[in-house]
Amino acid sequence: MAADRVTLTVPNRSDFAKTVRIAAAELASRVGMSYDDVNDVRMAAEEAFVYASLRVAPAAAVTFVFDIDRTGLTITVGPLEPAADEGRDTDLGARYATFILESVCDEVSVLSSEEVCSLMLVKRTAGVEA
Amino acid sequence: MPRSSRSDSRRLVWDKARTRELFAHYRAHQDEESRDELITMYLNLVKYLASRFRNRGEPIDDLVQVGTIGLIKAIDRFDTTRAVEFTTYATPTIIGELKRYFRDKGWAIKVPRRLQELSFRVNQAVDRLTQELQRSPTILEIARYLDVSAEEVLEAMETSEAYNFVSLEGDRTSDGPDSFSILEYIGHDDQLMAVIEDRATLAEALKGLTAQEQRVLYLRFFQGLTQTEIASQLEISQMQVSRLLRRTLRVLRDGIVAREV
Repeated sequence: MAADRVTLTVPNRSDFAKTVRIAAAELASRVGMSYDDVNDVRMAAEEAFVYASLRVAPAAAVTFVFDIDRTGLTITVGPLEPAADEGRDTDLGARYATFILESVCDEVSVLSSEEVCSLMLVKRTAGVEA
Repeated sequence: MPRSSRSDSRRLVWDKARTRELFAHYRAHQDEESRDELITMYLNLVKYLASRFRNRGEPIDDLVQVGTIGLIKAIDRFDTTRAVEFTTYATPTIIGELKRYFRDKGWAIKVPRRLQELSFRVNQAVDRLTQELQRSPTILEIARYLDVSAEEVLEAMETSEAYNFVSLEGDRTSDGPDSFSILEYIGHDDQLMAVIEDRATLAEALKGLTAQEQRVLYLRFFQGLTQTEIASQLEISQMQVSRLLRRTLRVLRDGIVAREV
């Protein structure tokens, strides 16, 4: 399947975490992920929301960009404020969220510039070569 | 960016050198003291991860207990020669234990009857298809097996899985260094009444079980043992444990549903 992009912008409020989680699960299912992997994606979406909540103003919006193709799902979350301590997450909540993300995703990276950064997560469909 | 002043001031406190020292001592001497200190040291990781699964009618203390089983497994299995931090190794093990606990206990969640039944069937289908296919089934395979749509399977997953954002609040009663109030500015729903109702319903349903069935449930869901471990402890076959669990879950489910109708 060709790559498809779905963009979802939600307010930084906890009740919208479900919106992101359901969208992520549906897209993961669409690319043929297993039950366990879909559950991982649901957790990843939620933790990404947690991570983003700590890195954007409460009144701001958070944009989730989902890129799907036959190899899996990439979620890019932003725009986030750069971490205060030279790109390292010193906030306890962000560190814990990162632990969970690293547990359930194949790749976790923070793409940062001087002014803004984003979180990128990759979950691959089992048994499909990139 | 506004943040909790408390969360700004806190840092991770795990002492890597002490962790290595304790693991070295534990591996060399198998002493319970080093193991206990490791458990205590990483209990705040368990508490955090457990808090991410609450708000579905399970007391946080029970979730911490389940998570602690994961932590102990991680401590016992951690290979100190590998170039990986213990937290990196332990997190998926603890999460796995919590996920398994919730997946197995779909009966305790208060959701509409139709979804409750569908969720139960999805869990059964996942178990059966996993055995048949020797891998985790896709959503489409589960949907075909149950003759429902993929959306319905996803809907059942959404209701049966305990993972929920609202748990971010952490323990409001504690203000110590191990408490987590990382997102104090984000609102949450009060689920206390639902918790109380669930527990009362469950307590009533438990009365319909034999002593052996209650024992199996306790070992499976409170001690976190696998079916094989329970079989060994009770000196019965794993198939018997499986049958007992199926029956007890059905009795509990029927009891809960009957009280809700």
